[in-house]
Formats: sequence, C-alpha cells, structure tokens
Amino acid sequence: MSVLASASPTFPVLPALILTPLFGALLVVLGPRRRPELLKLTAVLATVATGALSLWVLLAFDAGGEGFQFASRHAWIGELGISWLFGVDGISLFLIVLTGILFPIAILATDPGHDSRAYYAWMLVLEGGVMGVFASLDLVMFFLCFEIVLVPMYFLIGRWGHGNRTYAATKFFLYTMAGSALMLVGIVSLAFLHADATGGALTFDLVAIAEAQSIATETARWLFLAFALAFAVKVPIFPLHTWLPDAHTEAPTAGSVILAGVLLKLGTYGFLRFGLYLFPEATHHFAPVFLVLGVVGIVYGAVVATMQKDLKRLVAYSSVAHLGFIILGTFALNTEGIEGGLLQMVNHGISTGALFLLVGMIYERRRTRQIDELGGLQKSAPLLAGVFMVVMLSSIGLPGLNGFVGEFLVLVGTFNAHRWYAVVAAGGVVLAALYLLWAYQRVFHGPAEGDNADMPDLCLREGLVLAPLLALIVVLGVYPKPVIERMEPAVDALVEHIERHVDGFEEPTSRMGIDISPDGPLDGPADSEEGH
Amino acid sequence: MFAQAETVATPEVLWWALVPLLVLAGAAVLLLTVASLVRRLPEWLPAAWTIVAGLAVLVSVVPLWNEVQDDGARSFLAGAVGIDGSTLFVTALLAVAVVATALLSRAYLTREDLPGVELYVLLLLSAAGGVVMASANDLIVLFLGLELLSIAVYVMAALHLRRIQSQEAALKYFVLGAFASAFLLYGIALVYGATGATGLARIAGYLSTTILLEDGMLMAGFGLLLVGLGFKVAAVPFHAWAPDVYQGAPTPVVAWMAAGVKAAGFAALLRVFVLTFGSWSGEWQPAVWGLAILTVLGGSVVAVVQTDVKRMLAYSSIAHAGFLLVGVQAASDRGTAAVLTYLGVYTLLACGSFAVVTVVGGAGDDRHGIDAYRGLGARRPWLAGAFAVLLLGQAGVPFTAGFVAKFGVIAAATEGHSYALAGIAMVSAAVAAFVYLRILVALYMEDRHLEDDDEAGAVEVDPAPWGPRIVITVSVALVLVLGVVPGPLVDLAKDAVPVLVGG
Amino acid sequence: MSEFLRSWLVLVVFGGLAVAVVGTFLGLGSLLRPQRATEQKVMNYESGVDPQGDRWSQSNIRYYVFALMFVLFDVEVVFIFPWAARLEAYGMFGLVEMAIFIFILALGLFYAWRKRLLRWI
Repeated sequence: MSVLASASPTFPVLPALILTPLFGALLVVLGPRRRPELLKLTAVLATVATGALSLWVLLAFDAGGEGFQFASRHAWIGELGISWLFGVDGISLFLIVLTGILFPIAILATDPGHDSRAYYAWMLVLEGGVMGVFASLDLVMFFLCFEIVLVPMYFLIGRWGHGNRTYAATKFFLYTMAGSALMLVGIVSLAFLHADATGGALTFDLVAIAEAQSIATETARWLFLAFALAFAVKVPIFPLHTWLPDAHTEAPTAGSVILAGVLLKLGTYGFLRFGLYLFPEATHHFAPVFLVLGVVGIVYGAVVATMQKDLKRLVAYSSVAHLGFIILGTFALNTEGIEGGLLQMVNHGISTGALFLLVGMIYERRRTRQIDELGGLQKSAPLLAGVFMVVMLSSIGLPGLNGFVGEFLVLVGTFNAHRWYAVVAAGGVVLAALYLLWAYQRVFHGPAEGDNADMPDLCLREGLVLAPLLALIVVLGVYPKPVIERMEPAVDALVEHIERHVDGFEEPTSRMGIDISPDGPLDGPADSEEGH
Repeated sequence: MFAQAETVATPEVLWWALVPLLVLAGAAVLLLTVASLVRRLPEWLPAAWTIVAGLAVLVSVVPLWNEVQDDGARSFLAGAVGIDGSTLFVTALLAVAVVATALLSRAYLTREDLPGVELYVLLLLSAAGGVVMASANDLIVLFLGLELLSIAVYVMAALHLRRIQSQEAALKYFVLGAFASAFLLYGIALVYGATGATGLARIAGYLSTTILLEDGMLMAGFGLLLVGLGFKVAAVPFHAWAPDVYQGAPTPVVAWMAAGVKAAGFAALLRVFVLTFGSWSGEWQPAVWGLAILTVLGGSVVAVVQTDVKRMLAYSSIAHAGFLLVGVQAASDRGTAAVLTYLGVYTLLACGSFAVVTVVGGAGDDRHGIDAYRGLGARRPWLAGAFAVLLLGQAGVPFTAGFVAKFGVIAAATEGHSYALAGIAMVSAAVAAFVYLRILVALYMEDRHLEDDDEAGAVEVDPAPWGPRIVITVSVALVLVLGVVPGPLVDLAKDAVPVLVGG
Repeated sequence: MSEFLRSWLVLVVFGGLAVAVVGTFLGLGSLLRPQRATEQKVMNYESGVDPQGDRWSQSNIRYYVFALMFVLFDVEVVFIFPWAARLEAYGMFGLVEMAIFIFILALGLFYAWRKRLLRWI
C-alpha cells in the first residue's frame, strides 16, 4: 500500500518505543526489592529513553509527508492475517510525544510509598501499552494494546490509590472492559466482511480496510457503533463518564496524571483513527449525536465541577468538560475542528497532567484535598500558587497559553459546521473560568490558618518536574505553528477521505473567511499570501 | 446344529494408532497389579508411574501426528475407531492434564494423609476413556469411552475419605452423571432408529444423501445427545452438579474434571455434532446457540455472587464451556480449530488455577473462602503473581493465552454471522472479569486491613510442594508465552480438524 | 402419522386399557367394601409374619460390597457365553481376547481380596 511506503528508516523506532519500557519493566521486576531508589532510577532511565526516542520520531518526522511514516510490519498470527503493523502520522505523532514526555515526569514526581517494584513495573508496562495503541495500524494489535492498558492502570489505582481505591479500580476496569467487549466483535466482523467483499485474504490492516471502504452502509453503521461504544467509555462521553471522577480521585498522583494526560486520549484518538477513518459515512451519519453529547459533556462537566468540594474531583470533572471540546471538534468533521481537537488532546494532557501533579503536591503536604480545609496557600507557598495559576489559566484557555489555541480552533470548526453548538460550547469556556478561578480563590487566597500557614513551598525536584510542562504550556500557546504544520497533512487527508466516501458531504469550511492553515492568520496574515 | 469351524473375520487393528490408549490402560492395569501384590509401595512410585505414562503418551503422539498429517486420517476396528488430528490433539491435552493432576495429587495425598494408588489408577483409566471418546468413530464406542471416563471420575471425587463434602460431591456427580448417560444412550438409540447406523461415517453419509420426510425421531435424538453431552461439559441448564462437585471433590481431581473431562466432552461434541451431523447443522445450531448463550451468561453472572473461590472457578469453568459452545455453534473448520485452541489454553489455565487452589487450600482442603486469599500478594508474592496471571488469562486479557482462545471462538462465530452470540459472549466475558477482579482485589488490595489484626485475619499458607510448583510455573509460563507467540498452538489446532473416515 | 408411530399406537392403547381395567376394579372395590380399619388390618403384610421394627430398617452395610461384586461378575458372564458358543470360530484371537478380559476381571477380584474386602469383619 502506497500509504505505508514513505520514509522507512532502517532502525525500527516504533517497536523500540514499545519495547523499551517493557524491557525496563523486566529489569525492574528482576531488580532488588529493597532498593526502591535503584528501581526508580531504572524506571526513570527507561522512560527517559522512551521519551528520547519519541522526540527523535518527532524530529525525524517529515512534516510535509503524506501517509504513515516509520512503518514496519511483522507477522503475528499468519493464519488469521494479524501482524505487528506500526506507523505514525500527524495524528498520532504528538500523542506519542506527549506520552514520552508525561511518563518520566509522572514517575519522577512521586514515590509510591510501598511495593515500589510492582509500581514501577506497572508504570512501564502501561507506557508500553499506550505507545502500542498510538502506533498500531493493525486492528487486532490496536485492540490488544487498548485492552492491556487496563491491567496496569487497574493495579496502579487499586494498590497505590487513596481511600476508596478498590471500588474505583474495579469500576474503571469493568466499565472499560465492558465497553470494548463489542469492539472486538466489531473488529473481527469488519475483517471478515472486508475479506468477503474484496475476495482477498483475511486481514486486519487498518489502511487496507479503510481505503477499500468495502462494507455496506448499513452494516458499517452498526460496526461504527460497536467501536464508538468502546471509545465513548474511554473518553468518556457524557452518560458513560461515571467511572472517571472515581478513578481520577482515588488514583495515586502519577496514576491521575497518566490517566488524564494519556489514557483518556486513547478514546478520542480511537474516534479519529477508527471512527472517522474507518467509517466515514457512519461517522457523518451519527455526528449529530456526538455533537450533542459533546456539548452536554462540556456544560455538565463544568456545572458539576463548580460544585465539587474535593479539589481533585474538581479537576476530574473539568476533564469531562475538556474532552467534550475534543469530541465536538472531532465530529465537526472539518480541518479546523479536528486539528483543534488534536491540539486540545495534547494541551489537556499537559495542563490537566500538571494540575493533577499540583493537587498531588498539595495533598502530600496537607493530607487533604478538601477545598474547605485549604486556604491562603499563596502566602505560605507563593511559587506553588504561581505555577498553579499559570496551569489553571492554560486550562481555562487564556490566549497566549496552550489551552486557547485548541479551544479556539474547535470553536471555529464547530461554528463553521454547526453554529449553535459552538455558541453553547463557548458558554462552557466561561463556566471553566468560573469553577477554576473560584477554586483558586478558595484554595490560595484568604487568610492562611493552621497547617495552611506553614505549608512548605515547591522543592527543587518538584520545580524541575513542573518546568517542562510550564515551558510547553507557554511555547504551545505562543507558537503552535510547528505542531499544526505536522498535523495538517494527516488531518487534510482524513477530511478528504471523508469527503470522498460520503455522498454529498463537503467539508464545512470557514464561511467567515478565517484561514487557520499554518500559513494563515495565526502567525500573521501578511505572509499567508507569500507562502503560496 | 454345531457350529462349523469356519473362522470369523476379525477386524483389522492398527496397533500403532492405539498406542496412547494402550499405554494409559496398560499403565493403569499394571499399577493396580503391582499395588495388589506389593504391600508397601514407596509413596512416590504411583505418582511417578502415572507421570511417566502421561509423558509416554505425549511422546507417542508425535510420530502418530506426523503419520496422520502425511497420510491422512484412518479408521480401523471395523470403522469403530478412528485416528485423526483432533484425536491426537485431544489425546495430548489429556496427557498433559494427567501429568499435571498426578503432580498435584502427590502433594495433596501426602498432605491429607490419604492412601494413594487408587487415585492414579482411576486417573489413568479415566484418561483412557477420554482417549476412546476422542477417537470414537461410532456412537457406541463413544458411549463406552464416556462411561469409562465418568465412572472413574465419580470414584475420584469421593477419594477424600474424611471430608463429607467429598462424598456428597461424588454422589451428586454419580446420580446426575448416570442420568446424563441415560439421556445420551437414548439419544444414540433414536439416532440409530432414524438413520439405521451407529457408525459416525455411515450416519453422516446417510444424513447427507437422504431426504427424511419424518425427522421427528432424528431431532429427538439430536436433542437427547445434546443434553447428555451438555451434562458432561456442564452447559447451562445442565450444570447444576458442577459447583457442588467442584467445591466438594479433592482439588487435584477438580483440575482433572475441568481440564480432562471437559476436553473429552468437547472432543465428543465436535465429532458428533459438527462432523457427523454437519449436513444438518441448520437443525441443531439454534439449540447450541441457545445453550451457548445460557451457559456464558449463566456461568458469568452466577459466579459474581460466590464467596468460595472453588465455586467461583466452577462457575467460571461453566462460562468457559459457554465460550467453547460458541465455537461449536459455528459448525465450521474455523470453529473446530478455535474450540481445540480454547481447550488447549483452558487445560493450562485450569491446571494452573487449581494448583494454586490446592496449595492455598491447606491441610484439610477447606480453606477456599475468598478470605484465605486476602493479602496473599504481600505474603506470598510469587504464588499470588502466578494466580494473578492465571486469572487474567481466564478473563481473556490480551497477551495472555486466554485472549487468543477467546479471539478464536469470536472470530469463528462472526465468520458464521452469529454476531449477537459473539456480542453476548464478549459482554458476559466482561461480567466474568468481575469475578477474577474480586480475587485479585483480595490478593493485592486488602492487605492493609491485615496489618492491623495480623493474628486474626491472616491465614498462613504453607510453601508449595514441588509438584504444584512445577504445574504453576509451567502453566503460567505457557499462558504468557502463548499469549505473545500464539502461532504454534493456533497452527496445530488448525491442522487438528477432525476428519471422518468411513469403515 | 407415520407407519412407525402407528405401530406404537397399539402399545399405547393396550397399556391404557390395562391401566383402565385395573383402575376400574380397584376403584369399584374400594367404593363397595366396608371400611373399618383396625390396627391389625392396616399392618404391613409380610408373608403372614408379624412385621418387626421400622419399615426403613437398614441392612448391614457389609452386604453391600458382596452384593456389588456379585452383580459385577454376574454381568460379566454375559460376555463369556457368546464367546463360548463360538469358541472354535474365533480361534486364537478369541482366546487371547478372553484371556485379557478374564485377567482384568480377576485382577479386580484380587485387588478386592488384598484390600480385605472379601473378609466378613
């Protein structure tokens, strides 16, 4: 397939991305049980190595290239046509980089406290699984990685979590597993139907199946629903979100960071890769449903977040709202919306990850997350308060910080496609400002009493952990062009793919004349004409 | 009036094809002879003898497999017995289960201070019965094999002389099993009445060439055969015996029931339904479809409310039977291969899981409540880790062999356009996952409570003897390896699709 | 209805008739006869001897083993008769076959003996 042909380097970097953390996990398992610092060092080295590999992928990525790069294929179960098939395009690239960056930070930021060996091993297995999801181009491989992620996360929440961890972990596992149960049936049916329709051999190759579009419309809609259920639980989309606040709240800090930063993206990424790409017609058909649910998620998440008494739960519900934006952008089915959704995925990973880290740091000091019991922390910990302020503003979507770019693009895209959804969703931005600023005010302002008065400020290690995230927040907010530039070809191709396969569908482009292409007004309207 | 001295033509016997059966039966008879002659046998001898016999069968299967792959399936003994890929595949599984059960039994009998030889003799006989079932080319031979298999297991269930539950289990199993045998026999009689043959090849030939105007009797025969075999493999609604028997019977025997008896039962189901009645699959598929749905759902849902780990595993084994039925329902080569793969994987999972249960059960074999597993992750990390892998495997988590097994049957069902069945099976797999999670929670997540009242809560688990240790290690290793590299098993199962050869 | 099932109809009719006749006579009898129950009259009939003890009296469990073994060997004889009737026709094959058969049977008996099941303890 020509789509896979471009740029195949000699070094199989994508398998290495998956195997490096797994190898690290093996080292940790064989490591000395009573030397947690050695185990941590191993884990950090493994994740840093993976992160370096992901950065190398980013640098070596051909920005203008079409199709999947770094593709590699190895047969797995030949009889069933399943193979290890990897590739990266502009859609998965930044999620891989995000994963590579967040994991070392999450591991460095906190110590598990007990059973270090198992903790680090599970973290590394988790990273391997997540990388597998983002890199897989084989449906079965994707499903395998999508599912295996549950196991380490289950143990991370259940063994190192807070109070109600067993309940939260079990709920998380069962929700997600039940959600993806039908996806397996969908995957297998899709492969068989594709083989029947084309008369070829059985294959689970995403590109082959998606490009052929051999499935009858009605059938494809059912299959899309089987996939969509799995992703909707994982995202989570509004009525299926109830596992999320529990899992986020009870998870250990690193678990929350990874859960919010990376795992939720598995669902939204799934929608892009396996919804829009595999089933363009069905996606278009069901888009109104998801748009409504996305908007409901935005408003509902914001309203519920406003009423939370627990700081961590508040951040968790803010995730529901942010993911609503991503869904909205994705199902706007135009370049702006999808790009905005993608950017929002990365931004949400960075800023919510950072927020969870900060909440974790407050919890470590104060042993409470109740907003009522905190107050006036700005006086005792000014640095912490400052960092929190920046991260929070990024989460609200303040122009100049990263959150703005994504949300803006999503709103532009949605406005072009479905004006009124964008209007309601914009209200969600206001609500986000409300609950986050109010929470900030209650936690950091006011008089500091009792333990709040002498809470220690950030130490050097914590500062170093937060620094790269802060840098990303600012850089992506000020200069998102390199990112958008790399996303653009893949997103354009995706939209074109949808246009080609859906009768009478035309990309809802900007009727207001807003050009947001990389050479567009975002970095000055002047050079947009010269570029062409 | 006196008979002439003319000779009766004796049927041709392919002795080489009978080697696995002869090894098992011969080993049983010899062991019984020796045990009767020698007053005091060394304790290790019967176990070692059984293991050697099991390994010998395993070794003997290899040349037979090559022979069958090269020259095709055969039938002999006047077409009553056949040998094909599936026969040998199931024979190998039975041999593995025999070795595992023998390894567990040795440790178990020593711990429980029970007399030993009978268990091994019965185990070998039971395995011989399983081999007969897997090679049956005639319904009567199938029935003989089934009875040999079952009667031996009835007695094995009662072998813990001092546990009243063990006696209860045996009696229940015997009474219900006898019922099932009667159903099966009646089914055989009706099928004979409808087709005029008991040989599978002749029945298949008759069914594919003849148009029956009145098929009532044949349908009744199908139904009764399905009920009889359904009892053996513990399919809902014929499963009522399984939880009580699994809970009461000695744990190594339960491993054999879950691994060996189930493998033999499904070998029979495949031979009779998929192979022989294949041309009438439209008639029996709906029944198996319903049975499969009831079994996956029933097993998974009821398992959720159990508090005894042995009972949980009993219900989960029912759910696994449901998955196997999903493969049978497909009535295709892919379905058959999937069932055989699943059987191979389940043999490992069952042997490993019940090995852990044997170890944790402790002296008296009665610490099976979920409390006994509480905090095991902290006190016995390797044992708990192994159990966790086996449970995740049973849940069908990716990169364990359990996923490969489930994937196979789901693929077979979707290929046959049974989307609803595949969907329901996967959903109930998610329900069943809750059961395994409950055990995992006990293993890993409730250890903090114990630190407070260590004396009261923690049950000390004795270190595992080497027998169970080998079983656990090997099964965990294979579950993981086959999860990552499933090719060899899948290919073997694909080549093991049964073939009917007329006689 | 098929020929096959029709031939069974005779049996059903015959059986129904038998039940009806017996039921009628017993029923009529119970309606006609005087019913004055005494203890002697409702007592179980045991060949004219006064019944002793409970109806559910247990027999000695030790009989069980003997009964079981009797049934076992009794049934196995069924396999020996046809062979004996065609002894010459089966020749050496039959002889070896039967030798194995009897050996296994004897082994069972031998095992029971060594297990001291044949002794009346």
